[in-house]
Amino acid sequence: MELWIAIFAGTMTAATPLLLAALGEVVVEKSGVLNLGIEGMMLIGAAVAFWLAISGWGLPAAFVGGALAGLLSSALFAALALLFMANQSASGLALAIFGTGLSAMIGMGFGSQPVATLKALDLGGLSDLPLIGPLLFSFDPMVYLTLATVPAVWWFLTRTKSGLILRMVGESPENAHAIGYPVLKIRLAAILFGGAMAGLAGAYLSVAYVGIWVENMTAGRGWIALSLVVFAAWRPWRALAGAVLFGGFTILQLHGQILGLPLPSEALSALPYLATIIVLVAISQGRKRRLDVPASLARPYRPGA
Amino acid sequence: MQVTRRKLLQGTAAMAGAFALPRAALAQDVLKIGQVNASPAAEIGWSKQHALGIEAIKSALGDKVEITVVDNTFLPQDAERVFRELASSGHKLMFGTSFSLGQPMQKVAPAFPDAAFEHCSGIVHLDNLGTFEAKYYEGMYVAGIAAGHMSKTGKLGFVGGFPIPDIVGPGNAFLLGARSVNPAITCSIVFMNSWFDPGKEKEAAQALIAQGADVILGMTDTGVCVQVAQEAGVWSVGYASDLTSFGPDSQLTSIVLDWSSEYVAAAEAVLAGTWKSESNWGGLNEGVVTLAPFNAGIPEDVRAKMDEAVAAIKSGALHPYGGEIKDVDGAVKVAAGEVLSDGDIRSMNWLVEGMIGTLG
Repeated sequence: MELWIAIFAGTMTAATPLLLAALGEVVVEKSGVLNLGIEGMMLIGAAVAFWLAISGWGLPAAFVGGALAGLLSSALFAALALLFMANQSASGLALAIFGTGLSAMIGMGFGSQPVATLKALDLGGLSDLPLIGPLLFSFDPMVYLTLATVPAVWWFLTRTKSGLILRMVGESPENAHAIGYPVLKIRLAAILFGGAMAGLAGAYLSVAYVGIWVENMTAGRGWIALSLVVFAAWRPWRALAGAVLFGGFTILQLHGQILGLPLPSEALSALPYLATIIVLVAISQGRKRRLDVPASLARPYRPGA
Repeated sequence: MQVTRRKLLQGTAAMAGAFALPRAALAQDVLKIGQVNASPAAEIGWSKQHALGIEAIKSALGDKVEITVVDNTFLPQDAERVFRELASSGHKLMFGTSFSLGQPMQKVAPAFPDAAFEHCSGIVHLDNLGTFEAKYYEGMYVAGIAAGHMSKTGKLGFVGGFPIPDIVGPGNAFLLGARSVNPAITCSIVFMNSWFDPGKEKEAAQALIAQGADVILGMTDTGVCVQVAQEAGVWSVGYASDLTSFGPDSQLTSIVLDWSSEYVAAAEAVLAGTWKSESNWGGLNEGVVTLAPFNAGIPEDVRAKMDEAVAAIKSGALHPYGGEIKDVDGAVKVAAGEVLSDGDIRSMNWLVEGMIGTLG
C-alpha cells in the first residue's frame, strides 16, 4: 500500500511541470499561434528562479521571477511572430535554442550548490489522516495550484466571452478582425500567458522539484509538454490526463526496475511514450470527430491585409 | 577595424605562411593543447574533473603551453571537424573526454601522425591515439564497505545512465564491498536510459528510498541523488566530484576522479618528445581515483576498515573482484583465489549475486 502511495505522489509531482507548460500552450495554440519554444522558456524560468532562490529572495519571489522571465522571453517570440510575421515554427525553434544558451549564461556559477526544495503544505490533521492524508493532503502548494489551473483554463476557454473570442481568433482571425476584435493584441496576451506558464514550469523544476541548477536541466520536458497539447486535443482536462499518464508510467517503470521486473530497462523506459501513443490511438478511434486543431494554427495574420 | 579585401588577403597569406613553417620552428614554440568535451562546461561532475586536468597542466607547465577548450561537441560529425581544425591549427596534443568522441578521433588521428591524441574511456588504440581510464570499481568497493556498515534496511540503491560495463561494473563493486561486511545485503540498480536528466535522477532516487534503500549511489553527472538522500534523511555516496555541498549530513564519501596526473604526464611527454600511445588505467594507487573525506557520522572503527581496504587495494593485497563471486543466478563467475581479468572487468555485462535489476 505504501508503495502505491509513493508511486501516486511521485506521479503527481512528475506531472506538474508538464501540465503547467501544456496548459499554457493550449491557450497559445487556441489563439492560433504555435510556440515551439517551451523548452527554452522553461529553462530561462528555471535559471532565473534558481538565481532568486539562491540569492535569498525566498521561494514565492523565485516563482514570480521565473514566471516573469518566461513571459519576457515569450515577448521576444511575439515580436517575431506577430510584429514581423516571421514563420512561427522557425521563431519557436529559435526561442528554444536561444533559451538554452541564455539560461546557461544566467545560471553560470550556481551549479555547485543546492537550494532547499519546496516543502509539502502542512494541513495539520488532514495530512495525518490514514490513506486520504498522504493521497490528497501531502503535496507542495504548486501541485494544488497547477491542478486548480486546469478547471480555470477550461472555464475560461469554454464558458467566458473572452475565451470564446480567443478561440475565434484561433479559428478565423479574419472574421474576428471584421467584427472589430484586436487579433494581434489577443494573440499577444495568449503568448505571454503561455510564456509565464512555461517559466513557472521551469521554476518548479529547479527550485521545487530538484533543488539544483544544471545546464539544460529540463531534459526535453518542454517538447513532451508540446506533444501533450496534441494528445489532449487542445483540452485542459485531457492535458491533465495525459500529464498524469505520462508521469505515472515514468514513475511506475522506475519502481518496476527496482523490484527487478524481468524486463529490459530500455523497454521499461520506453513505456511512458508507448502508453501515451496507445491511448492517443485508442481515443482517436471509432469517432468521426475532427481532432480540434485550431483552424488558423501557425498561420500569421496581418490585420487589414 | 574595417576588414578590407586587401587586409583579408594579407591575413590569409600570413596564415598560410605560418602553416608553411618547418616543424622544427614550431616545436620551439609553446605546445598547443586542445581539449574537446561532449557535454557543456559544468561546475561539478565529469566535465569539471576534466577541466581540473587542464588546470593542472597550466599550473605545472605555465608558459610552455597554450590551451584551447571546446565544449558541447556531442555529435560525431561536429567532433570530427573540431579535431581536424585543432590539429591543423598546430595543436600537438588533444584530449577527448567522452567515449562518444572515439570514432571521430580514430578518423582524424591517422591524418596528423605528428600530433598526439588522448581519449578518455576509449578502447581503440592507434600509433598516435592513446587512452586513459579510471578504476572506478576500487573506490566503489571502499564506499560499499561504508554502505554495508551504515545501512539499517540491508538495501542499497544505485542509479546509472545506461546498462554498459563502465556502469554495471562499478555498481557490482559497490555491492561486493557492502557484502564483505554483510553478506545478506542487496542492491537495486536503476537505469535512467539517458545520460542527463536531473528530474529523472530525483524520481529514481525517490523510488529507491520508497522501496527501502537507505544508501543511494548515483553514478550520474549531478548532485541530485545526494541532495534527495539528504532531504529524505538517508545516506548517499557521491561520484566524480565531492558532492558534500549537496548533502553534508548524507554523503558517506564520494568516488572523486582526479585526472591531473594523466594530463600533466601526457603534456610533459609531448614536450620532451617521449610521448607514446598507451592505455593508462589508474586507480587508488595512481591517485586517479580518490575518496572524498569520510562523513563524520561514520563510526571510527568503520573508517579504519575503509582506510585498511584502501591500503590493501593500493598494495594489491585486496582485489575488489577477487573470488569467489557469483552472478545473480548463483553461477560462479570468479573462483575462490582468482581475480577477474582486466579484459573481463572492462566488459562486465552481468550482475553479481544480490543485485536486483535487469540489464536487458
